[in-house]
Amino acid sequence: MVNLNTVLLISSLLFAIGIAGVLIRRNALVILMSIELMLNAANLNFIAFARHSGSVSGQAFALLVMGFAAAEVAVGLALVVALYRKRDTVQVDDINLLKG
Amino acid sequence: MEHLLVTIGRDMFAIFGVLALCGGIFMVAAKSAVHSVLGFLFTMLCVAGCFLSLDAEFLGMAQILVYAGGIVVLFLFVVMLVELSKYKEKGVFQLQTRSAVVAVVIGAAVFIGVFRNLLFGVASSEALVLRPELAQGLNVAQQNAQAVSRGLFSDYLLPFEILSVILLVALVGAVVLAKRERV
Repeated sequence: MVNLNTVLLISSLLFAIGIAGVLIRRNALVILMSIELMLNAANLNFIAFARHSGSVSGQAFALLVMGFAAAEVAVGLALVVALYRKRDTVQVDDINLLKG
Repeated sequence: MEHLLVTIGRDMFAIFGVLALCGGIFMVAAKSAVHSVLGFLFTMLCVAGCFLSLDAEFLGMAQILVYAGGIVVLFLFVVMLVELSKYKEKGVFQLQTRSAVVAVVIGAAVFIGVFRNLLFGVASSEALVLRPELAQGLNVAQQNAQAVSRGLFSDYLLPFEILSVILLVALVGAVVLAKRERV
């Protein structure tokens, strides 16, 4: 039987990997994937606590989060494509118009 | 053999979780974007396995459908649209990588320090079990999809409808953003 803290530990490690990806990569696509990874870590917590408390509310919310993630990735990828058309790059280091 | 199978079934969550962590590390560290997408796919499948081992059958299947079927394909399309090869000679990681790593290590240390008792104390050995008296009315273990849909369409109807509107907005917004500009 799985321990609650095993789930929490693994999901926090997944979240940390996602944060590391957002912070250290310069490719916008990989940054979007890391954001998806963080949302999945949150989903894992939702499901673990849903099972811990014996209620399905957490699972329903995890389903909603999954839908929001799909919407977010659609808009994000459209932004990446538009950016590539405009600036001919997807590297976030090269996008510094507001740097001043 | 039987003992081995029992052990594997009991530790299914840990196995899938560790595999998901390995996939995530590969995703972040891979040089090529296509390799990153493959690592992402592997991670999503392993997270789906975690969901299944936590008795969330419907969500596990939805995870496989949404991520492996939809989002990964979308990412692969964009990787093919965007020509990444001419940026090969520049570095993979950002300039401030060193300070980012220091920040993550400090954050992890603070996290462990704050939650030390919860993670390694007495409460950490409490097993994650389905309480039978709570599961009685919901039939979580037997009819997962039915229980989830009952929750979704009764208590969480408003968020569900808002989500459908947001999906519509995202659909229109993605089409407008990605459309080629007319001059």
